[in-house]
Amino acid sequence: MEMIHIIFLIFLGGAVLTYFAGKVSKVLQDIFFLLSVLVPAYLFFANVGIGKEVTLTLGGITLVWGVNHFSWLFSLIVLGLGSMAAIYAIGYMKGKERKGYFYFNFILSIMAMMGILLSLDLVSFFVFWEIMTWSSYLMTVYNGHETQRIGIKYFVFSAIGAYAMLMAIVIVHHVAGSFMIGSMINFYPNMSLSLQIWIPILFLMAFGVKAALMPLHVWAPDAYSNAPMAYTSVFSGALSKMGIYGMVIVLVTMINQIPQGFWFREVIAWLGGITAVLGTLWAIKQDDAKKLLAYSSVAQLGYIIVGIAIGTELGMLAGLFLAVMHALFKGTLFMVTGAVEKQTGTTNFTEVTGLIRKMPWTFFAALFSIIALAGIPPLGGFVGKWMLYEALITSNHYLLVIVIFFSSTAAFLYCYKFLFGFFLGQEEKEWAHVKEAPVVMLVPMIIMSVLMFVLGTFPGLILKPINSGLVDLGYIDTFKHLWNTSIIFNAWGDHVVLQPILYYIIAIFVFFALFLTWKGHKTTRYVTTKDISSSGEVPAEDENLTFSVGFMQPFLRAVAPAMRRQIDKYYTGIADGLESLFEFMRRIYTGNGQTYAVYVIVFVVVVLLFKSVLF
Amino acid sequence: METVLMDILGAVVTFLVAFVVGMTYGGLSRKITARVQNRKGPPWYQNFIDAFKLGFKKSAIHHGVMHHLGGAFLMVSSVMTLMIVPVLSHNNWFPNLNFQGDLIFLLYIMTFGPLGMALGAGQTGNPNSAIGVTRGLSQMVGFEIPWVLALVALMIQYHTTSITGLMAAQAHSGTWLMFSSPFAFIAAVMAMLGMFRYSPFDIVGAPTELASGPVSENGGKYLFVMMSSGSVFTFAKLTLYVDLFMGGADNLLILLVKTFALYLIPMLYGMTTPRYRTEQAVRWFWGWPSFFGLLAILQAVIF
Repeated sequence: MEMIHIIFLIFLGGAVLTYFAGKVSKVLQDIFFLLSVLVPAYLFFANVGIGKEVTLTLGGITLVWGVNHFSWLFSLIVLGLGSMAAIYAIGYMKGKERKGYFYFNFILSIMAMMGILLSLDLVSFFVFWEIMTWSSYLMTVYNGHETQRIGIKYFVFSAIGAYAMLMAIVIVHHVAGSFMIGSMINFYPNMSLSLQIWIPILFLMAFGVKAALMPLHVWAPDAYSNAPMAYTSVFSGALSKMGIYGMVIVLVTMINQIPQGFWFREVIAWLGGITAVLGTLWAIKQDDAKKLLAYSSVAQLGYIIVGIAIGTELGMLAGLFLAVMHALFKGTLFMVTGAVEKQTGTTNFTEVTGLIRKMPWTFFAALFSIIALAGIPPLGGFVGKWMLYEALITSNHYLLVIVIFFSSTAAFLYCYKFLFGFFLGQEEKEWAHVKEAPVVMLVPMIIMSVLMFVLGTFPGLILKPINSGLVDLGYIDTFKHLWNTSIIFNAWGDHVVLQPILYYIIAIFVFFALFLTWKGHKTTRYVTTKDISSSGEVPAEDENLTFSVGFMQPFLRAVAPAMRRQIDKYYTGIADGLESLFEFMRRIYTGNGQTYAVYVIVFVVVVLLFKSVLF
Repeated sequence: METVLMDILGAVVTFLVAFVVGMTYGGLSRKITARVQNRKGPPWYQNFIDAFKLGFKKSAIHHGVMHHLGGAFLMVSSVMTLMIVPVLSHNNWFPNLNFQGDLIFLLYIMTFGPLGMALGAGQTGNPNSAIGVTRGLSQMVGFEIPWVLALVALMIQYHTTSITGLMAAQAHSGTWLMFSSPFAFIAAVMAMLGMFRYSPFDIVGAPTELASGPVSENGGKYLFVMMSSGSVFTFAKLTLYVDLFMGGADNLLILLVKTFALYLIPMLYGMTTPRYRTEQAVRWFWGWPSFFGLLAILQAVIF
């Protein structure tokens, strides 16, 4: 029995045990749940050596599992974020219905993601991929809202991706004679040109669905916003990264081998860029925090895809660093949304406002993640953004860099909308009773905020495993050439030294904060948000001064032409077309025995009449 | 230790110079605007009087922590920008941290302040403040496009992303970048109109419409910090333009001449044009300015 087997056994057994423990005691269930996520995480990082392979023979097929540096990096995202979200989920799920269902699927998702990362053969890869899809599907329909529209949409897209992948796996097995990923990669240069093009396309379809690459992204906003927030932080933060993981492998080990690969990568990079822009614009439009973050996830995944698609060393570093950062800040933001939802019962910006003094720690976490998301120094998001821009500029993607820049500047709009909508603005009596979220929910958020801060100055902590992963994939070692513990370089030798910048920022901030506070801090008193002057008038207590409806209207008016078309509508159009086709089919296959009898008679008559012609 | 002390002293000197110059420019702009409108106008040192009066006042009220710290966020952004931009080419009194950051860093640190300020303005609860902020952020998305197009054009033409690198390129070739990359200069200057928020792009403060927008709930020290941050930021931005397109400056006098010449552009343009609506302003930047930006990139790629 190897350690990897034990880990999977704990996941599986834990999921079942947790499900049934709920029948005995709620506390026992929570404990089982935490243990079955945290214990495997600990065992994995403490005991599983990189480069080790274990096998398992099931029904004549040998499944091979193992870790390399690259999958270790993604395991860090999955298990790290998974553990944080698990702790958070204890608080979030308190008092909610169907906890067993939630915990069971949560653990299975984590297990499936680990399975994907550890699989060295395509069979177990596919099986785990399906488990991941199923468990996440069950989570998206957890609420029971609009299961038809949202759940089916997610499932149809996942199924299309999965069948594409299955087809590719079957073809690979046919030509290469093996299910091993390694042998597929080795055999790839010997394939015919059409296969060399089709197999990556089929795989990329599967991965593109999970990574929400346009035009396969339409399921994401609904699915992300409909799942319970404690799970969505994993859904958007880690599960979408499985698509990125697969994409990197396909792009690096296959597409880079053929001369047509250049166009492949350009197309994907541009799709990523367009995804980023459209995701951002639609995020600005949303009035619901869940939807806003869901669209923003789509946009952020666009950046990551751009980074890995351009495929230079700096681009890969940027993409993967952003992937880690995205897991951190989007995970935190979904947790913040969940906390607000739990404390107030709504996530709509037009309903809830002015929570900063009621939920200061949640605000702190939200502020840090927003700064990281916006890419403002000194937090970690800046490092990723910087590397991405420099990678694009030094690899001659001049227009793409403008597209990305537009998208990330426009991201400020929804960043501000998120912070303002929940925490700032008028404090209303309706929300006067709101309390800070429970500690068990706050702790993961604060831990991740601190991590974002640390990574902003010492990105080397994460760039080191990324670099090892890239070396595993055949890239050159970029240590001291593109990054150091707290210095980042571009290909032209320009660099940013992060440590002194942090100290300067802190020094200036502290100086002016003291200047503002120093004199008269005792006599300065707090006044409510109603105690303001507007053009000389003092508003009365009952006057509504909340500004949240049509928040970014002028900007949206400016970009209206870009948002007139919605890809979702095209899909709906196709679906409607198919539906009428099926409707027509149903008229033929009525299910009525007499109709079928008529068909048989007509058939016999036709055969008899045209006997001489036919035979 | 001595170098650290010198650095701090130099930073203070730079800050003071920027403060004085920025304030003076603000006063001059008030005076010039008044003369164009056939008024007498305040004296050029009026801004100093205003600022010091505010600075020595005690604040009686605040609206919470974010509101209190909004000014500090704003200052981080303007002072960091000032520190990153080389003020004079060969002078030890002005420390320059450009070797620790570059243009992309500069672009991002410049947005740090407005976002912090926006948070501060948000907590006051004044709807005018929040409306001003949404307008300001929208306008930023507008002018960043031609501005980034211009910068990217410069970067790819000279294969460097640092300001000192671009200054060295100008010193090496002997021509200012405004002549060797004219389209980039045009795009950047058009973007500058939005950056300085003079009419027709004064949609953020929008007097008589938003009651001065984001700053409306601030008085006393808060307003003082915001005023001085604005002055320092004005100086830093003008110096950045001089460094990028006009070959930098060897002494303070040349710097003043060049920066004031640049400063006149948004100021005088504003006198002839009434205020845009937000979407008009945003779209304006995506029209001709971005076209010139694209030309600049084309020029950089082809030549």
